[in-house]
Amino acid sequence: MSDSAQWKGYLISYSNDSLLLQSPYIYSDSPVYGPDSDSTTMTVAGIQYLQTQGHQISAIRLPDSVDARVVFMSTSVDSPQRNEELDSATVDWHVIEGDEATLVLSQSDAEHFEFEEPTGTELIDADLFNDMNAAWELECSKQHVSQGAYVSQSQYLEGGAARLSLASQKFDGQIIWPPRQMDSFGNRLPPEEGLLSDAATVESWTKLSAAGAPSEFSLRAPILGGIQTLLVKFVEGPRGVFLVCDDVDYSPNIGDKIEFGVRRIYAQEGLIRYGLKAIPFIV
Amino acid sequence: MFVAGNGAFLDSTGASFGLRLKNDRLNQMLVLLGHVMVDVAVIGAGQTKYGNHQLGLKGMWAEAAENAFASVDQDFDPRQVDEAFIGSVAFGGGQLGNTAALLTEHSGMEGVPVRRVENACASSGFALRDAWMAIKSGQADVVVAGGIEKMNDLSPERKRFWLGVSGDTEWERLAGLTFPGTYALMARRHFHEHQSTHDDLVHISVKNHMHGFENQHAHLRKQVSFEKAASGFMVADPLTLYDCCPTSDGASCVILAADHVVRQFTDDPVWLRSSGAGSDRLALHDRPSITQLVATQKASKSAYSAAGITANDVDLAEVHDCFTVAEMIATEDLGFTESGQGGMFARDGQGIRNEGSVCINPSGGLKSKGHPLGATGTGQAVEVFKQLRGSVESGRQVRDAQIGITHNVGGSGATCAVHVFGRDRNE
Repeated sequence: MSDSAQWKGYLISYSNDSLLLQSPYIYSDSPVYGPDSDSTTMTVAGIQYLQTQGHQISAIRLPDSVDARVVFMSTSVDSPQRNEELDSATVDWHVIEGDEATLVLSQSDAEHFEFEEPTGTELIDADLFNDMNAAWELECSKQHVSQGAYVSQSQYLEGGAARLSLASQKFDGQIIWPPRQMDSFGNRLPPEEGLLSDAATVESWTKLSAAGAPSEFSLRAPILGGIQTLLVKFVEGPRGVFLVCDDVDYSPNIGDKIEFGVRRIYAQEGLIRYGLKAIPFIV
Repeated sequence: MFVAGNGAFLDSTGASFGLRLKNDRLNQMLVLLGHVMVDVAVIGAGQTKYGNHQLGLKGMWAEAAENAFASVDQDFDPRQVDEAFIGSVAFGGGQLGNTAALLTEHSGMEGVPVRRVENACASSGFALRDAWMAIKSGQADVVVAGGIEKMNDLSPERKRFWLGVSGDTEWERLAGLTFPGTYALMARRHFHEHQSTHDDLVHISVKNHMHGFENQHAHLRKQVSFEKAASGFMVADPLTLYDCCPTSDGASCVILAADHVVRQFTDDPVWLRSSGAGSDRLALHDRPSITQLVATQKASKSAYSAAGITANDVDLAEVHDCFTVAEMIATEDLGFTESGQGGMFARDGQGIRNEGSVCINPSGGLKSKGHPLGATGTGQAVEVFKQLRGSVESGRQVRDAQIGITHNVGGSGATCAVHVFGRDRNE
């Protein structure tokens, strides 16, 4: 017996000790990843779902296609792939990758699972799917050095927890995000110790034409017809700017409620930069 | 040398000052020491035409400097320059390091202490401020402030890279924002909070194109109708092509002199009465409000106070309208209208030359005159210098202009410099 639902832009089917995740997009009768998704982003969503269900995940074994560092920064769940010194006895969950855009997170390493088939799939435009795949393939190649903003690996990793899990600082009764070094009196601020809630409200928005988009998006923005950015305010007070995930067909309004999911942002020199993107509550 | 109470230092003669002193504190100390504050005058100013130049960096700078030298009423020898400050983002042109030394070498100022000043689009606004401070401090008598940018020798891909480098790279840029995007966010929020509309922005675009139409140095010398400006190609919703300034090549150069040497150069100086500046958080989302620029408010308050004026005294303002919404917000932050009323100010035609309460962007502004990033701040000063001396093209003159200001913003408001110019010295 399992429950079927949507979570962070993915279809899920949950039974007591296992979770099936599937991309909602269908191409040639098979699930395929959306424009910003891959096995890493779906794994993160799966772990986050299990955590909301009360599972305490000590460590997880990941397939090679999943970026273990991103999983750790997003969820604080470690893996043997990231941490070679991790005691294998602590690994209590496994991620099993399906043939198509499906994953199973389970405490068992069985090869066969029974799930209710997820509902809510939609056909993806064939041109969009093929063009986006080609663009990502080119962008992810090590030879591709975009003219885009250079966020070095060290800078990316320094801000990783804040970018991927909304890790925030607390100081003098204020919640601070993104993290800052000092307050306005020159006092050093403490390290991140809490997480912003995964809920925010749209305060403004724009859609940049492909010609106006930053050059790191220059391969994909023309395919998507531009890129959409939201300025949002979190329940706790801080504001942030986020892209809308997976080219969702969404006409924002100020005051709309938003949640977040980890997605690909862009790739440079063979490294995919991941971050949170906005997922609108579409009724 | 002794150290003053606030940590600033003076040499034994009291003539040399640490540059971080605030003006009022500096004045107090000078009074105590029996010194009289030096006044600063603009004795010459010139620029290239803005647009797509065949010239490279050296050629453009030489042209701007030559025009500035020629505008000085008496013969001007560039070897008289004590110090030079040149603003540039170093967008194109292929000389990222030591740009300023290369330019002075090719403009008769070889050997002059020089440096490049970088504060994004406010680079030469801050170069002008640094030049003003150099004279105020007593360290120099004749100083050049200038700016330059070569933007149209890059591929479209590389242009898009450079156009976003002055925002917050780590957070804003990775959320897909370049400056059209950040200003679009500001515009939509202003519409929401203050019932302004895109039509208000269209009025600004139409006005600035009208002002720039007769400016021989303007990049886009064409008038546009309201209907055309209202229906432009959408660049960053809600901003259309007619809300955005062009990317321009250009250079500008201003020559400043201390009051005790001014008469060697001209009997008709324009006085640089004050310089104000401010800064703010780099990223839009880190600011309490995105419908005002705190850096502009700080800079203008400081500049007005030091010059002993209010916004009501200003006859003309060269305002940083990189996007039309930037001008709408600036008219509020500079005090020409109340907070939230910038849309109505534009709708009512308050900024139109010789019709409104103050002429906003008589040159055509960044929208029509153009925006060669590093050259813009001193380019604004060139316009104010000419307006106050009555030497602009016929038909462009702001009547009875006595006081003009320049307002130069870096990025989406992280930095701002405001300067007050007058026919008269400070009282």
